[in-house]
Amino acid sequence: MKKMVKIKGKTYHLNYILGLVITSLVLLIVIIGFFYTPYDPNTMNAALKNSPPSLMHPLGTDNFGRDILSRVMVGAGTTYVIAVSIVLIGAFFGTVVGALTGYFGGWLDEVIMRFNDVLTAIPSILLALVFVSIFGTGTYNIIFALGILFVPSYARVIRSEFIVLRERDFVNNAKLMGAGSLRIMFIHILPNTRNVLIPALLIGFNNAVLAEAGLSYLGLGVQPPQASLGRMLSEAQSYLLDSPWYALAPGLMIILTVLGFSLISGGMGND
Amino acid sequence: MTNYETLLSVENLSVGVSDKRKINTVIDNISFEVKKGEIIGIVGESGSGKTMTALSVIGLLPPSVKILSGKVNFHGKNLLTIEDKEFRRLRGSEISMVFQDSMTSFNPLLTIGAQVEEMLRLHSKYEKEEYKALTIEALAEVGLSKPQEIYQKYPHQLSGGMRQRAMIAMAMITRPKLVIADEPTTALDVTTQSKILGLLKKMNEKHGTSIILISHDLRVIQSICDRAIVMKDGKIVEAGPTQELFSDPENEYTKKLLAAIPVPFSKNSIMSKDIQNEIFIRNLERNENTLKKDIPDPAEQKNRQDDILMIKNLNVFYSENGKRLLGKRSRKQVIHNMTFSVKQGETLGIVGESGSGKSTLAKAIVGLNKEIEGIININDGATEGLVSFLSKPQMVFQDPYGSLNPTKKIGWILEEPLKLQTKLKKKERLAKVNEIIREVGLSTEHLKRYPSQLSGGQRQRVAIAAALIVNPKLVILDEPVSSLDVTIQAQILRLLKDLQKKYNLTYVFISHDLNVIFQICDRVCVVYQGEIVEMKEAKELFFCPDHEYTKELLKSAMLISKNCCHI
Repeated sequence: MKKMVKIKGKTYHLNYILGLVITSLVLLIVIIGFFYTPYDPNTMNAALKNSPPSLMHPLGTDNFGRDILSRVMVGAGTTYVIAVSIVLIGAFFGTVVGALTGYFGGWLDEVIMRFNDVLTAIPSILLALVFVSIFGTGTYNIIFALGILFVPSYARVIRSEFIVLRERDFVNNAKLMGAGSLRIMFIHILPNTRNVLIPALLIGFNNAVLAEAGLSYLGLGVQPPQASLGRMLSEAQSYLLDSPWYALAPGLMIILTVLGFSLISGGMGND
Repeated sequence: MTNYETLLSVENLSVGVSDKRKINTVIDNISFEVKKGEIIGIVGESGSGKTMTALSVIGLLPPSVKILSGKVNFHGKNLLTIEDKEFRRLRGSEISMVFQDSMTSFNPLLTIGAQVEEMLRLHSKYEKEEYKALTIEALAEVGLSKPQEIYQKYPHQLSGGMRQRAMIAMAMITRPKLVIADEPTTALDVTTQSKILGLLKKMNEKHGTSIILISHDLRVIQSICDRAIVMKDGKIVEAGPTQELFSDPENEYTKKLLAAIPVPFSKNSIMSKDIQNEIFIRNLERNENTLKKDIPDPAEQKNRQDDILMIKNLNVFYSENGKRLLGKRSRKQVIHNMTFSVKQGETLGIVGESGSGKSTLAKAIVGLNKEIEGIININDGATEGLVSFLSKPQMVFQDPYGSLNPTKKIGWILEEPLKLQTKLKKKERLAKVNEIIREVGLSTEHLKRYPSQLSGGQRQRVAIAAALIVNPKLVILDEPVSSLDVTIQAQILRLLKDLQKKYNLTYVFISHDLNVIFQICDRVCVVYQGEIVEMKEAKELFFCPDHEYTKELLKSAMLISKNCCHI
């Protein structure tokens, strides 16, 4: 049994509240990072190479003497922007594809969904590698490649909702009113998928954060000196034994982000 | 065979739902007794606390519902204070329950046999083969033919009536002393309904089991119960032997409930003679008319124009989509060669069991089903240019929960057809919406709500408003009152009649409920397996049916109310 919490007369899942707290903390750090960081994240200082956490540098410095706290703040921002863009691209095209195939069915549905199956059958990181090796590395290419790879999962979710909803009487009613197919799909049916779509967006965001981190870790994503969580992890691995704090900060940030959003989406809906 | 030993007694039971530190009482200080071998009926509208009463007896109240005070004595044990383990033993072996929806109350992944057998396994000890034999015997006892086959089948492979029988077999297999049946026949057709009620009565007589029968349908209660309790807002408003209660009700509410039962089958109807006279006179008139019509005159042509809907040799198909790409599409014919017409301003009833093709017909008429052969001619009499609204036929669906978009506000739902079909400006549209919502008996305040914030009756009013807002001439009503309580049913039917008069509407009214059909329809069309078997004036059909199937339908409707007028 999940624990429930009462706030102002409404009951929520404890997980939901926990998720909200963690996520807002993480978001707060990121938002501050856009405007202010204790040090310039890219200024090197040869005197302070790999120094452990201290009062001056609460999370220590990296191999170039850069302040890790500042870099995490900025790097998390970069990762978030990339992840949100990926999810938006995936969700937008996924919704359109899912709505079309789910609503109309027939051969169109068959063809597109089989193509979808093919895309899902290949590990996404591998496909992203192919993309990046064709189009080159860089922030925009990552967004583009991962965005496309996110389309099938959204298409599948939205399609299955549409298949159920298109049989409902309110859709028949809309047809009788004379509403066109597009209007029925996006004005009448789409809002009814929100119970599924919103958790899917949150989970998608998590996956996007992890995917960005993964690609940047492999050196294919964000290019130095720009900081992102994955990039930082990748650079930290050579110093894992001597200065573990270097890897700890970005790793913890990823964990907190993913945990927060997972808790929210898990506690949502069934309250 | 009734002896007077008390089996179950409920004393001053109060049950409440706690919500934001306030406690809403759902059951308010009720007391009643169930004697051995007795069938007791609990009747009331939805929300009256009938089901809560049953659930508190069997100890299955949802966690948010608390028992506030009172006692439930069963065999001298207070069920409210009894230990869980002891109660678990009682449930199933001494008290069992038959639920309304047999589809969801069976586990879809297990066979019927396994589920019925499990009941027996939990409460008795036999050899493995004996379990199976006893289960099959129980299935045979409830009138399921080929019990060996049924044993192997999954719930979805059975019809609603068969599932309900299996459910009763499951409840009876341990020979309990008390069976609680919560709306056991509500989801079923009339003919099946009367059979299931007969079965319950038979089990009661054979095994001396007491039954608490819960229903919103007075006719169901009337047909098999010895005593009845009328509940309203969590209180018992009246109780007594069924005969007395229904022939001489004291409480206002009971009277209202009784009055809401459609005329021909209620106790107070002594009008059959009048009706027969009326039919006689009508027949005379018609003969005169036909005599007149021998001479072709303009009146006949006008008559033909009066037909708002003409259907000729209609065949409707239902195609199951091929599961695979390029897979074969199988086509099933649902409607066979139907021909009929509907006159301007009349109400044509279409009656038949579920699966007879009624809804398919409705969808074909309004154009939702495109796989048709034959002619559907809709002459809405709209003089082009004069009428600003398109007047396509509109439809009111059975389930107001499904036909209104749950994510939109009522105001939006009503405005949508105007946006799509007219060129009215925003202001004019809103004025029209405000007008129609009052027309159906709601207030403009309801426009700001979502469908989930309205009751079933209110939702159906909104659905009617949405259909009427574009000024259609022809409205198809597909079981518009089947999911509503009797009193609400009567209100909606009255509303439909008023609107028909006001706007000169033509209705095609589809229902499986003969009483409703009788109340509202001028002519009735009986549909059986996709074919029209009989078509007559309503009163004529009810009192002099020709076709065997119509007779059977009428008979089962009659069986349910055994003490009503005889044909």
